[in-house]
Amino acid sequence: MKKHAIKVEKQGLKVTQAADVRDSQLHLKADAVVVGSGAGGAIAAYELAKAGKKVVVLEAGPYITSDKFPEMLAVAMGTLYQDHGGQTNSAGDISVLQGACVGGSTVVNAALCFRTPDYYLKLWAKEFGLTNLTPAVMTPIFEKVERNLHIKTVGPQETSPGALLIGQGMDKLGYPQGKARRNIKDCAMTGFCFSGCTTDRKQSMLVTYLPWAVAHGAVIHSDTRVTEVLSKAGKAVGVKGEIIDPATGRKKADIQVDAPIVVMAAGPIQTPLLLLKSDLANSSGQVGKNFACHPSMSVTAEFPHEVRDFHGATHSLYMDQNTLPDKGGYILLNAIQEPVEASFQAEPGTGKPYVAYMSGYKNTIRLISLIHDQNVGQVSWKDGQKDISYFVDDQDFEAMKKGLIATAKILFASGAKRLYLPTTHISSIDRVEDVDTVIGGLKNEPARYKYTSFHPQGTCRMGRDPKKTVVNPHGETHDVKNLYVVDASLLPTSIGYNPSETVYALAHYVCDQMIKTRA
Amino acid sequence: MHLDTPSPLNQALTVVARLSRRDFMAFAGAAVGVAAGGAASVAQAQAPALKSINAAEAAIFRRVAEVVLPVGGSALTPWTPEVLLGTLDAALLGTMPPHVLAGLKGGLQYFNEGPVAQHGKRFTALDDATATAFLDAWGNAKEVPHRALASGLKKLVQLSYWANPASWAPLEYDGPISQRNGLKSLGNAPLPTR
Repeated sequence: MKKHAIKVEKQGLKVTQAADVRDSQLHLKADAVVVGSGAGGAIAAYELAKAGKKVVVLEAGPYITSDKFPEMLAVAMGTLYQDHGGQTNSAGDISVLQGACVGGSTVVNAALCFRTPDYYLKLWAKEFGLTNLTPAVMTPIFEKVERNLHIKTVGPQETSPGALLIGQGMDKLGYPQGKARRNIKDCAMTGFCFSGCTTDRKQSMLVTYLPWAVAHGAVIHSDTRVTEVLSKAGKAVGVKGEIIDPATGRKKADIQVDAPIVVMAAGPIQTPLLLLKSDLANSSGQVGKNFACHPSMSVTAEFPHEVRDFHGATHSLYMDQNTLPDKGGYILLNAIQEPVEASFQAEPGTGKPYVAYMSGYKNTIRLISLIHDQNVGQVSWKDGQKDISYFVDDQDFEAMKKGLIATAKILFASGAKRLYLPTTHISSIDRVEDVDTVIGGLKNEPARYKYTSFHPQGTCRMGRDPKKTVVNPHGETHDVKNLYVVDASLLPTSIGYNPSETVYALAHYVCDQMIKTRA
Repeated sequence: MHLDTPSPLNQALTVVARLSRRDFMAFAGAAVGVAAGGAASVAQAQAPALKSINAAEAAIFRRVAEVVLPVGGSALTPWTPEVLLGTLDAALLGTMPPHVLAGLKGGLQYFNEGPVAQHGKRFTALDDATATAFLDAWGNAKEVPHRALASGLKKLVQLSYWANPASWAPLEYDGPISQRNGLKSLGNAPLPTR
């Protein structure tokens, strides 16, 4: 038999958007329906379509072509992020950022990739029975995603003025400089990773697995919010949803997809919410629990000279000497910061001190401290609204303080003359001698600090024991057959490093299991 | 919450008490995004009608902005209430979920009544120095809602100002560069070969 040639479009993606829908009822049939088009969903769509399955992908967010990406974070937040960038924990002090568009968070992340440390694979084997996820099994999968997504260590030119200064500070203090590995090809060094890469250098799902899936016949619907997962006799049989006109917020059509395989990839907040709403897969009572999010804080450093850290590689440098929990539990990351972010990260004092601080923007850089956190939060429904109940654990706050102290000392060693802490009260440090006292005196209080989280995770954790976990070691829910999870909900513990490559690899692993089972 | 004496402060507290703690607090962090076209298009607009807040609420935001962004005499770009409040309304408040916006409105009243006990005046009636000290004091308050309100309201007006590209010139920040530098798209990646 002559094989049909598989051809990937050179640019863009074939997506059915709300504007394309004419009927008020859509009823589709497929071999697999994938809920979400981010890291896990796109990989599942590609792998299943390549295996010959008829695949439908449903994405709640809009399809924004990369030429429309604004290179302005404030506008990108409004168009590409969950809740227009306004998603927070219930205390309102942690901004929980997720992409909400075709391609999901892979469109707006900084492309930083780390393999899952062996420490966690061993921990997961010991505590969650995931003896299948050995380094020997996972290494070839990491190698595959690294090839597919062009994950490479930054070259010497892929840096930024701020990173160069921070590197000098690290050298002076004897900290190892970690060179970032990123899924970026021929980086244009604009520094706008968080606003989406308008020239498609970032190898997000938008320009990799999704067009590959479409080339293999997958169909993508954007603006389509799944409202219920359907099951019959303990097996998943499809989903119901609504197609919402993004311009008006009004429902345009109802949609149902009948499929004997349902793959949940809506992300670690929407996936548990949808399972809870569908009253499925929760005999353990663990759906939505064990939420972690890698809280991070940015310290802003003011230099006595211009730095102009306006453009360059968004992230290029990290310091992970103390990242594993028994070493300290924090990682430091440089990042370019545009004025909108700088405008609320520091508290120099209301009025004139604030005007003076922002007037010196070109002399400032930031260094981020991100912590490995306990899985102490919960995602649930309250009064018909989602609720992310999460407070930084006291033990985790001590890890944050250690990270902030290292951050501050590195920034002073880099030549900073003043540091601003991300607090609600006025706080700056003018001398390295004061670092331990000032940061050591911080107390763990809600609504006191300005946290950001880019890494929600853990709400449908994977493990062997159906009483303690939601998903089995092969990615299928313990309770409902043919219902799979392939997003960061799976992670049994937080991992202290950017989890994107872990999600890519777990999605591949789960798909391999799914396909083998049905071969 | 039970309050015996009717007063503007007690009325405000009653409004706040009706809101769940989650709604009240969530607005503080819910102000990050500026919806598509918000900053750029609103900046061009002439005194757009405010849809999400009434005149009294707008007056509180205006006073917060005057205290937080006293750019007169500095190199920073002057702002007008019409443009700043227009951005705030269209791009930030207009995209908030209704329960979060309701939390904000309750909190805004509570905040405005905050100085009455100590200063005998609402926030909108305080002089610049007292209003500045009040915001700083609430940012360091023992009460969690006070910190959340001071921080959240400041953040809203700061974002509304800095989201406007006209505010960047004095910082020498040059904004988007891909189009200006003629950078070409690499398009979609080819299929993996293995």
